Amino acid sequence: MNNDDDLWLDALLDDELDGAASLALQRRLAAEPALQKRLDERRALRDAVRAQATRHAAPAQLRAHLEAMLAPRVSAPASADAGATRARVPLRRAAARPWMAAFGGACVATLCTLVAVDPAALGWHRGVVAASLQAAEASEAVSAHTRALLVDHPIEVASSDQHTVRPWLSARLNFVPPVVDLAAQGYPLLGARRDVLSGETAAALVYRHGAHVISVFVRPAGSDAANGSEALSVVRGFNVIERTQGGLAFCFVSDANPHELQALADLVTPLAGK
Amino acid sequence: MHDDAQGRFAASVLPHLDAAYNLARWLVRDAHDAQDVVQDALVRALRHFDGFRGGDPRPWLLAIVRNAAFAWLGARRPGEVELPDDELDAGLALGATPGDPETLAIRRAERREIDAAIAALPIAFREAVVLRELEELSYRDIARITDVPIGTVMSRLSRGRSLLADALRPHALRALT
Repeated sequence: MNNDDDLWLDALLDDELDGAASLALQRRLAAEPALQKRLDERRALRDAVRAQATRHAAPAQLRAHLEAMLAPRVSAPASADAGATRARVPLRRAAARPWMAAFGGACVATLCTLVAVDPAALGWHRGVVAASLQAAEASEAVSAHTRALLVDHPIEVASSDQHTVRPWLSARLNFVPPVVDLAAQGYPLLGARRDVLSGETAAALVYRHGAHVISVFVRPAGSDAANGSEALSVVRGFNVIERTQGGLAFCFVSDANPHELQALADLVTPLAGK
Repeated sequence: MHDDAQGRFAASVLPHLDAAYNLARWLVRDAHDAQDVVQDALVRALRHFDGFRGGDPRPWLLAIVRNAAFAWLGARRPGEVELPDDELDAGLALGATPGDPETLAIRRAERREIDAAIAALPIAFREAVVLRELEELSYRDIARITDVPIGTVMSRLSRGRSLLADALRPHALRALT
């Protein structure tokens, strides 16, 4: 008996042998008790696995989100209000996080756009590589922002206490992002999570401003990044501010208006001279 | 995408959401991460739905889920997606020829033990076992989903089952749980 025998025995069990091969194996089984015993053992294993192994059902919330995402659009996708009305019913489970219920709709609407705009398709011509790179990163940050809201884990450590969030992040990252609660300025800190941008681990701080959720991605800046550089862009309806300061690259993403986002950026990364 | 295309997509894909999630869950081995992967996969699937030419949507969807899971793991836990090389294959020679008491032990193995044994399989064997035993797909469909020849599916499935049998023998169970 050898490993190839197992292969044929399995194929027999799986009903994948053609007639001739099956017949030849049946003849061998009749003549070789050890082979028959081996077949019985393989069958016992297969039956046990099929009977017992866990089949993971899709979580109800994931199903609800995807159903909402695929529901027929009743109005232009740019209208977050229309999206929110439709999405509120399936998202009721998330009522413990009211900010999320309010934003699910906006994200659902955005996802339709997400599908149309592939970061890889954003153009990559010589001479505008730097700009494309920036556009690709902003686009990736927006995807990370919407994905986190959609899949119901925007936050791994939920706390408004910067003294809880900062140690949690620094224990898991090889850099230390600045963490401040700005509730007094109208931007309460909801918590943080880890995320991946351009293949690198980033800290994602989550703030709320009114009904808007703001993601702040922080990661070490590339060596060629100019300190104090800033870029503002609009990606699929989301405002994105990118800033480099103190060796860290910050990316602020939200559907809050540009001035509100700018205000938070200035609070988190106060620019010299401002 | 027009609403009618999106409607057809939903009708084709949503009935297989449990299968999609199950595969993602077994590949990335984490409930939250699996939701991310399914989300990514559905966005990709919607984008490529024009390329779907009818037939059974389940293997088509599972192939996309599988690719999304590998891309996800490749970016975050690249060590987990290295495919087995000859060296690893050589290390998988079967152990002792089992006797009846061991067969009995396998039959009586509990859900927890079986789940742990599957989760511990290298990913190439794990995906073959999950697609065959839990999703009951044909060798041909598994070959399409995992993008390898049918012969490779047969050998991975067979080796995966042998590894499971080894892990579920009485002496191994103690180490596993």
